[in-house]
Amino acid sequence: MGAFFALGLFQGAVYGLLAVGIVLVYKAKRVFNFAQGEFGGVAAFCAFYLTVSLGLPYWIGVVGGLAAAVAMGLAVERVIVRPLESSSRTIMLVALVGVALFAIAVTVLVARPIPRVMPPIVEGGTVDILGAAILPQQLILLAVLAVLAAAMAWFFRTDLGLAVLASSQDLRAAQVVGIGPTAVSRLVWGMAALLGGVAGLLYAPVGIFTPGFMTFTMLVPAFAAAVLGGMTSLPGAFIGGLAIGVVQNLGIYLLGQQLAVPGAAELSVFALLVLVLLIRPQGLFGKEA
Amino acid sequence: MATATLVLTRVRIRGRIGLVLRVALVLAALALVAYPLLYGGDVWAQRISRAAIYAIIGLSINTLTGHAGQISLGHQAFVGIGAFFAAFTASRLGAPLGFGLAAAALAGTVTALLVGMVALRVTGLYLALVTLAFGLTAETTIFNWREFTGGGAGAFAPRPALVETDFAYAVLCLGVLALVLYADWRLVSTKAGRALAAVRNDEDIAATLGVNVTGYKLGAFCLSGLIAGLAGGLFAYWNQVVQALDFEFQVALVWVLMTVVGGLRSRLGVVIASSFFALLPLTLPNFLSGLPWQPPFLNEAVYHVLPPFIVVVMLLVVLRFFPGGLGQLLAPVTGPATRGSKGARR
Amino acid sequence: MKRTGRQLLKVEGLGLRFGGLQVLDDLSLTVGEGRIVGLIGPNGAGKTSCFNCLTGVYRPQQGRVFFDGREVSRLPTHRRARLGMARTWQNLGVIESLTVTENVMLAQHQRTGYSALAGLLGLAGTWGRERELRRDADEIIDYFGLADVADERVGELPYGVRKTCDMAMALASDPKLLLLDEPASGLSPEEALGLADTLRELRDRLRLTILMIEHHVPLVAEVCDHVYVLDFGRLLTEGGPEEIQRHPEVITAYLGGSHGTA
Repeated sequence: MGAFFALGLFQGAVYGLLAVGIVLVYKAKRVFNFAQGEFGGVAAFCAFYLTVSLGLPYWIGVVGGLAAAVAMGLAVERVIVRPLESSSRTIMLVALVGVALFAIAVTVLVARPIPRVMPPIVEGGTVDILGAAILPQQLILLAVLAVLAAAMAWFFRTDLGLAVLASSQDLRAAQVVGIGPTAVSRLVWGMAALLGGVAGLLYAPVGIFTPGFMTFTMLVPAFAAAVLGGMTSLPGAFIGGLAIGVVQNLGIYLLGQQLAVPGAAELSVFALLVLVLLIRPQGLFGKEA
Repeated sequence: MATATLVLTRVRIRGRIGLVLRVALVLAALALVAYPLLYGGDVWAQRISRAAIYAIIGLSINTLTGHAGQISLGHQAFVGIGAFFAAFTASRLGAPLGFGLAAAALAGTVTALLVGMVALRVTGLYLALVTLAFGLTAETTIFNWREFTGGGAGAFAPRPALVETDFAYAVLCLGVLALVLYADWRLVSTKAGRALAAVRNDEDIAATLGVNVTGYKLGAFCLSGLIAGLAGGLFAYWNQVVQALDFEFQVALVWVLMTVVGGLRSRLGVVIASSFFALLPLTLPNFLSGLPWQPPFLNEAVYHVLPPFIVVVMLLVVLRFFPGGLGQLLAPVTGPATRGSKGARR
Repeated sequence: MKRTGRQLLKVEGLGLRFGGLQVLDDLSLTVGEGRIVGLIGPNGAGKTSCFNCLTGVYRPQQGRVFFDGREVSRLPTHRRARLGMARTWQNLGVIESLTVTENVMLAQHQRTGYSALAGLLGLAGTWGRERELRRDADEIIDYFGLADVADERVGELPYGVRKTCDMAMALASDPKLLLLDEPASGLSPEEALGLADTLRELRDRLRLTILMIEHHVPLVAEVCDHVYVLDFGRLLTEGGPEEIQRHPEVITAYLGGSHGTA
């Protein structure tokens, strides 16, 4: 039980990271970024190629992976999001789904659909926390999160950060700071992609990974986390991620292991998502619409 | 008076050209299907069945997303439940095909109704998210429930003697497609189509005009689920075995893409795009490896992963340059036809 | 024609709040059958909100609405429409993706006489009924002079034509009560006065009762039997049009008030 709780927190941290990226885009653009998971997928595959296939040092893999994710984010902003700005939200949504499938198709085409094992950042045995076997990788995840949280807290206090936050409420506020809406849009997508890339790099070494692994397993829980956090609150999205991770793992324990229900992980996330949307659609931290 | 006469004449001519165009279109479509069906052997008969099933699925999504304006990213749940119900009645109960298809349609309807009830409270992007999560949950939970679906091995759905040949089965699938097309045509030409257009555009205006918004939304979900379940039933007997793998997450997304590429609310566009998406993975690898010259870095394995790639590129190109989908490209042909019918009102 | 003096619409103590904002406060009014009644007031006085409460688009926290002799406070919007309430919208209640004919036929929704399912299955009765509906729609379209654009999509038509289409739709549902939200906005002064004749003709020929929100004072003075004046969600005063125009508080509310007029 305790083990599932601890596992849930660690997995939830990755959901939270993705959810923060989703919320960032939603605040600025009022679109659901279904391609958020694939930023991580692309980062993971690039890092794998650089470190394992080419045998370069690990840090080059990390930097290369993140650079690829950010490049993808900027490309999506330029090629898809901006030209479709005036179309309906259905069209934008379908286009972003298309982007995710496109990224998956490209990874399948280039890398073949074979499972891979990403070496962890730090080798070594597991640590016992609340009865769960925690990899050193997952402890690094915590450290990275702390650094990211501090960096974001600082960033959103700077003029530039305030402009990004303001852009969702009032475009003019951003222009007052001297930053055009295009620059803000680029910044938002670049940051979201960076967060997705970090999530991918942290999650890939935990198990084996295949093309589309971020979209197929992480995206829906990440969205549930963003909704739970109220869709507009960055810390809320992260806390939502932790909550989703815990609920999912408790679901696996109670439904899956005790009652042998298949698909307990997906079922518990789905149930929580529907409950939140029906009972408290503004989420835990969202303002009433 | 003179202008009025002129206008009327123009309308009448447009109406007549429209009729001719439409008849020509239908004949061309029939010829396009009949030739491979008659001369292509079992391989093409199977492909045509698959294309028809995809077209039915596309029309199902079109009902919900095109007519009612409700996004569904979890359509594999409706289709899959239909397929498993058909297989269950066929293999466990030994029921006839008609019963199996009816059970599939009913199962799809009930499932869609449940999702529709959530959709009354949850709208827009949030609904897209809920349907996505629902599809994923159905795939991993219901479709992996061993007693019902036979687990990983799948559930069997043997075809009865009457439609045992691939040719007869293709005729059955085309027949069902024709029925669904007819229903879609009547839907848009009668009160339900107009009411759904109002619901899609503005629910307050719709209600003020006397339209029961709740009822029509649920109705659209039920109809879409019914058509999807029927397609699932047809799929079950076509493949003769149904597995959870057939209804993955990605499949539902590709279905939505094909409907949008075809053009929401364009019957012809949806059917063409769906058939294309159905046939591409079957025909493209063979076609490419049969070419006399093979590019150096390409081989059979690569050809098999090309179709989804092509599909997505098509979507992005279509959205970027023709947001109305294939239907928008076809409009110069079908436009006078549809306008003509309304123009010939006097 | 009958003028029984019966109250077709009666509103008692309507109160509507959005969060901390009191939009309507203890508003009561009545509209007698066959009358043309005006609802005026500065911008933000709550006139359109009042319409939304009458039709059921908003659910007021207090008050009751009676229509045609029965309480409709708890009825959903579409049920009220079926009892004979029709309205036009300030920013137009047309469906832009449909043609003018289709819009008018949409407005005939409640009297199509066949079920949605029957239409879907293409049952025998529905085809003939559709032709009849189309004929009725054509009649209404001709009356409003829209015949030339009948097969155009409404979204592609100029504002004035769309506005006429909105009015045609409100009539197509064969209502008892017509709620008009600023029918003269966007019209020239002459056209606005022409509207007065149209409204009187509609009332007399179709036995309609009309409640209208309007800023155009000459039109209100010309056509209304009775006028209610709203300010800050409250009833400021009521009376005949001449009486209202002389009322000192109305003059203050419109001219010297803290909030601007349209």
